[in-house]
Amino acid sequence: MDRTAFLARIEEYHKGGWRLALINATSAMSTEEQPRGSFDVVWAFARGTDFEYLREQVMPDDEVPSISASFAAAFLYENEMRELFGINVTGLNVDLGGQLYKTSQKVPFSPSAIRARLEANAAAGIASASTTPPAAPHAAPAPATAPAAGKPA
Amino acid sequence: MKRTVIPFGPQHPVLPEPIVLDLILEDERVVDAVPTIGYIHRGLEMMVERVEYTEMGFVVERICGICSFMHGMGYCVSLESIMKIEVPERAQWLRLIWAEISRIQSHLLWLGLGADAFGFENLFMHCWRMREEILDIFEKTTGGRVIHSVNRIGGVKRDISDAELAAILVRLEELGQEFKKTASVFSTDPSIAHRLGGVGVLSAEEALATATVGPMARASGIATDTRLGGANLYNQIEFQPITETAGDCLARVVVRLREVDQSIDMIRQAIDKMPKGEGQALENKPRGNPVGETFTRLEQPRGEVVYYVKANGTKYLERFRARTPTFANIPAMIQLVKGCELADVPNIILTIDPCISCTER
Repeated sequence: MDRTAFLARIEEYHKGGWRLALINATSAMSTEEQPRGSFDVVWAFARGTDFEYLREQVMPDDEVPSISASFAAAFLYENEMRELFGINVTGLNVDLGGQLYKTSQKVPFSPSAIRARLEANAAAGIASASTTPPAAPHAAPAPATAPAAGKPA
Repeated sequence: MKRTVIPFGPQHPVLPEPIVLDLILEDERVVDAVPTIGYIHRGLEMMVERVEYTEMGFVVERICGICSFMHGMGYCVSLESIMKIEVPERAQWLRLIWAEISRIQSHLLWLGLGADAFGFENLFMHCWRMREEILDIFEKTTGGRVIHSVNRIGGVKRDISDAELAAILVRLEELGQEFKKTASVFSTDPSIAHRLGGVGVLSAEEALATATVGPMARASGIATDTRLGGANLYNQIEFQPITETAGDCLARVVVRLREVDQSIDMIRQAIDKMPKGEGQALENKPRGNPVGETFTRLEQPRGEVVYYVKANGTKYLERFRARTPTFANIPAMIQLVKGCELADVPNIILTIDPCISCTER
């Protein structure tokens, strides 16, 4: 991701009086092109009844800059992304050092952890999601270099 | 000055649910607070991997026993948005009525807990006695006092007869009159004012900077309320967000006191405006599997909740995420605790109305 452009866009939201509404990560399962999977990360902002978001595709080795310099409250979401997804968020204003959630499994929402669970379910005959869900138009993430902004449907 | 670290929680008389704040003190003053949550993280969001989307709503409403109706509603609204399902009008009005009843019971629960925290046992019992009557209404209309399971993707499972709605309104108005006496104690008793007034002040600027939502933000003078967006028929209800300007613990109490009255008024308006007559359609059932993603915002009793749902055309969702109001209010809570006296920490924490089950999912 283009760190400078991303942070500049975040700062625009900050100066525009937007409130950080949510940072959300979704794991994308591994494919031939991306054998280790990836993450679809959304930074959502609210101002009154308006709601907008930025979206980035993040690779397992990518560094994601913290936005806590602009939005101090981001630290909870960013610590959550680290602990549940294993996303490498750097520059947090409050680093909880992996102590936010007490989970029995490390990074339980990472693509590899999800795949392992689904494969274990399949082996045990437990009905669950497939490791190869059908491709859908929305699943194509925005280019890493240009953060995509949008409004929800 | 020598610093002392005092763990606040996970078990504490004012905390109905576990959370830890490591309070770093200089003498009696808190200079820093480090939160640890996660004691009741259940990984409910992970269950989308093996619970079909038609059943997931029943899991979602179990995120929390206080906000269960709103969680169920938020999930269904999200799927309806993705699947472009039009919800019958009567079902939407019923949802609005139940949502406001839910707000009343949540505020009464919290007001009782607040009274208990500052040592007013009698007030606690009055609030919870009234809340029991609200739960009776829930039980009579949905079949459940805590988990209602009345929301369906595409509508609601049950109707409330017109006669029953009229009886509910009469009972709510009687309760509203009764509540005025209790509310006047909260707002006029000098010992409560002494205990809460000027304590834990959050300015409007600080509330914005910490992304605060709900009654907590409104008590700091920010007129934020997701219902103003008009979704789910709130555009047909006349109301203005209730705000206070002091930003202290007392203001947060007063906002919730006034919101109980406001919710009764909203229910009155809804019953007046909804189409009369039983036997109307209540549900348009979903067909096929959802494809797409959506963000849904609702105003829960504690503030804005955001649901993110992503579906890939299978019967299992790809992602479900609930960002609850308590999660959003934790940064403000930490900020408020810094600089306060140790004895004020319980009241400050309680006045954000923390719901840890919601926060940790």
